[in-house]
Amino acid sequence: MNRIAKRSFTVTLLALLLLGGFAFFLVEYAMNAPQWAVADSSPHVYDDDRFQSGTVYDRDGNILLQMQDRWTYSSDPQIRKATLHWIGDREGNIQVPAVPNYYDQVLGFDYLNGIYTYGGIGSGEGSVQLTVSAQLQSLALEQMNGRKGTIAVYNYKTGQILCAVTTPTFDPDDLPDIAADPVTYEGAYMNRFVQSAYTPGSIFKVVTLAAALEELPNAAELTFTCTGSWGGGEYPVTCESVHGTQSLKQAFCNSCNCAFAELSGILGSDVLHTYVEKFGITDPVSFDGITTAKGNFEKTENPVSLAWSSIGQYTDLVNPCAYVLFMGAIAGDGSGAMPYVVAKADDGQEGYMAQTAFSSPVISSQTAQTVQEYMRYNVTAKYGADHFPGLTVCAKTGTAEKDDGVAPTAMFTGFVMDAQYPLAFIVCVEEGGYGASTCIPIASRVLTACKQYMDS
Amino acid sequence: MAIVEAVQNAMPTYVNVYIAVFRYVAPLLAALILFRALFPLLRFRREPEIWAWLCLSDGKKIPITHWENIIGRDKRSDVVIDLATISRTHAVLTRYDDGSWSISDVETAGDVLVNGKAVTVRALKKNDVITMGGLEMTLQPISAKQEKRLAQIRTKASSFGTGVTNVILLSLFQILTCIGFLMTGKAEHGTSYLMGFGGLMLSQWLLFLFYTVIRRPAFEVESVAFFLCTMGMAVICTVAPGEAVKQLISAMLGIGLFLAVLWALRDLERAKVIRYFAVVAGIAMLVATLVFGTSINGAKNWIFIRGISLQPSELSKLCFVFVGASTMDRIMTKRNIYLFIAYSVAICGCLALMSDFGAALIFFCAFLIIAYMRSGSVGTVALAVTSLVFAGVLVLKIAPHALDRFANWRHIWDDPWGAGYQQTQALMCMASGGLAGLGINQGWMRNLFAADSDVVIATVSEEWGILMAVLLILSVIALALFSVRCASMGRSSFYTIGSCTAAAILLVQVILNALGTVDVVPLTGVTFPFLSNGGSSMICAWGLLGFIKAADTRQNASFAVRLLKTRGGEADE
Repeated sequence: MNRIAKRSFTVTLLALLLLGGFAFFLVEYAMNAPQWAVADSSPHVYDDDRFQSGTVYDRDGNILLQMQDRWTYSSDPQIRKATLHWIGDREGNIQVPAVPNYYDQVLGFDYLNGIYTYGGIGSGEGSVQLTVSAQLQSLALEQMNGRKGTIAVYNYKTGQILCAVTTPTFDPDDLPDIAADPVTYEGAYMNRFVQSAYTPGSIFKVVTLAAALEELPNAAELTFTCTGSWGGGEYPVTCESVHGTQSLKQAFCNSCNCAFAELSGILGSDVLHTYVEKFGITDPVSFDGITTAKGNFEKTENPVSLAWSSIGQYTDLVNPCAYVLFMGAIAGDGSGAMPYVVAKADDGQEGYMAQTAFSSPVISSQTAQTVQEYMRYNVTAKYGADHFPGLTVCAKTGTAEKDDGVAPTAMFTGFVMDAQYPLAFIVCVEEGGYGASTCIPIASRVLTACKQYMDS
Repeated sequence: MAIVEAVQNAMPTYVNVYIAVFRYVAPLLAALILFRALFPLLRFRREPEIWAWLCLSDGKKIPITHWENIIGRDKRSDVVIDLATISRTHAVLTRYDDGSWSISDVETAGDVLVNGKAVTVRALKKNDVITMGGLEMTLQPISAKQEKRLAQIRTKASSFGTGVTNVILLSLFQILTCIGFLMTGKAEHGTSYLMGFGGLMLSQWLLFLFYTVIRRPAFEVESVAFFLCTMGMAVICTVAPGEAVKQLISAMLGIGLFLAVLWALRDLERAKVIRYFAVVAGIAMLVATLVFGTSINGAKNWIFIRGISLQPSELSKLCFVFVGASTMDRIMTKRNIYLFIAYSVAICGCLALMSDFGAALIFFCAFLIIAYMRSGSVGTVALAVTSLVFAGVLVLKIAPHALDRFANWRHIWDDPWGAGYQQTQALMCMASGGLAGLGINQGWMRNLFAADSDVVIATVSEEWGILMAVLLILSVIALALFSVRCASMGRSSFYTIGSCTAAAILLVQVILNALGTVDVVPLTGVTFPFLSNGGSSMICAWGLLGFIKAADTRQNASFAVRLLKTRGGEADE
């Protein structure tokens, strides 16, 4: 009998298996229950793909969406179109809206009660407040004027995204036949600010410049001679005009491709690659449940490829959100606030409140200040400071060449140095042509509107 | 019904307040009931019973603490005689219900002589001299008086007071639950609610009354079972109120079977006879299913007789436990394990033909437990080989069925609208309920396939909270650990193997059901004992509980253990 009694440990093993298995589940539950409770199609809180509780407001308290029944959007069609990609559409085609990340807060989920509220489920008084302004969104959308791309402005001292539009967009209350017009509505379900990766073109020179200033002690004293073409061979790097002999600052202002090609040779692929990683240019940024698209910067042994990649061509790709964060880091003397779009979310009582967080310094404050100075020089010497009345704008244009005969993507990015307007921005217009001519007027109007908004 | 309308016409506020308060009261009350029932089972002092003394010629007296004892040189033997002339496993000493003893020679070992004559098996009379390996000894059974004294000082199972308190607490829980359903449910289901919970309440009082009359007031494992049944009834009242009465009848039949198993085990000789019937019935039910059965959801495991549906594989489990359990003298002759292996393979073959993957897994685990407990070192090789054959048959025959489930396992969120629908919805509902649940009858799970059977734990969690689910699982674990604790005081290996196997089957079912629902293991569609809606499953669960109860040798614990009465015969001489 003793032997048989001892062999009963097999039953203990089974009991431990059950205990361990369920404990494993409970750990999973502890980690995921808030998401499970409000997961897409969760029967208690979804009706036909649509979440059923609470209201979404913009930063000024304007109602953007009431999440009851079939959902009620803003009564203004322009606001509907301009804010759709942060809120989501009725059909659930827009995959990364920020609001669903806080559905558990809207319902007041907690581990003890789940989504139970006295008398039912959810208080119905939940809300999500975005950091974007409906008014600025509308204005920015207007500036896109039917073109595809994105415009974003964020406060690099608080992290709040004041305005971020993406086009093409559509009116959820007047659904177009998107499938029937794949050209007009190419990527209409996509939030380009966070989900796209663009060939950056010359705005990437900020990265090469910052890398040179960090790496080379005498960078500012370097001179470059532009003959209009560099490298020879099948794909020489060219400039539209001959820039002659220039300092680094002047070459950056001229956006001289040849000078930067030469500079890339001095730095070398490994060094440049190291700085791209250090600056976080190609890393995804995560906020409000969104993870931005990854960028790309390849190491290459070929000096001509390296030259092209140092001026934002070759296989370079950057995500607009990640890049505007880099702009914020330069403006913030090395470290910018991490962006966010949801200011607060709660069930009417308590809940989530966004807090400012800063990235760890990606660049020395000395280099950041030199880059600020150079970028300011671009505006005063080249783009014209009168585009931005009352704002100390520092910026860089870009014209990203595309293959196969598609017109270049027009780019413009930078920041405002005034303490009362700590804004970093990016404008991307697909097939927009020259960055300077296409994007500067857009940025001018949007930044001016932001200034007025912040003044009022 | 008038009563339901009257309750429901009360202001809705009362209903909301009731739900809000009962959400917290229910798990606390449940914890109290289960703690009261399970704590004694896990904490009672385990003390050996002494049935006889083995007096060696050198004057040493060795206590005999079981009804079946292995004598040998091996340190794990019940009676260790460390002499080079004694085999590692030399003989088996067995006591019978009537107090008589026998000694059996283990075939491979050295001889056993009784009064100088070699024997294979021999009833022992008073003063018979047993000789093993040259060592002489006599067996001195304790007298009836000593036996009585021994029984009196033995740890008591819980008293009448404890038992009646358990039943009162259970009744309180049932009444509160029933009121909750009357408040929140449809008027037309009022009768089902009242009959379902009222019937369970009545059954537990009747059973307890019966126990009191026969002086076995311990109501611990029964309290756990009734609690699980009550939660099962709550699930049925939410999901399919029309089936409440059917489930109640099944529970009553189950209780009948529980008592029948206890009666069968009360007398080991009787149990051994019933075992032969079980051998035949176990396989006959499966064959009958194969011949007359109907396929539902891929597995051909249902028989319909005049509108009553039966799942014979559930009842086969019980037979399998009977077949697997065996007394020590038989275990020590190797022939038996081979027969058992052959029988298991036959059972497995039937299940493979039925494509009943869940049942096959349960039988396989039960087989492993029985084979391991019985075989020790001798049968290990055979065991391994059979396991392989078993597994091979499973894989070959049931592969397409099984592979589907495995493909989905740990990937349910990949396809929440398709293959993962049932489980992802279940998890969403579990999360919605939190620790305390959404409240009685407030869930959505009723709309999901198999909400009251395969994924029943999610239905409980949604309305009653994860805490309740944890309590239900812990109570099954506690029952199993109770079986293990009882093993060391087991009188006969028949009881010990029976109770451990029964506990193992309950555990495997909970593992497959609960862990399957939450995607820790593949979902196989097995029932949760006592909790899932299903008559055959309910009846089988009570039957298995009978084996667990029968192994409880505490004073006044179960009527499978006879109360002491003055016996005639040799003890009084």
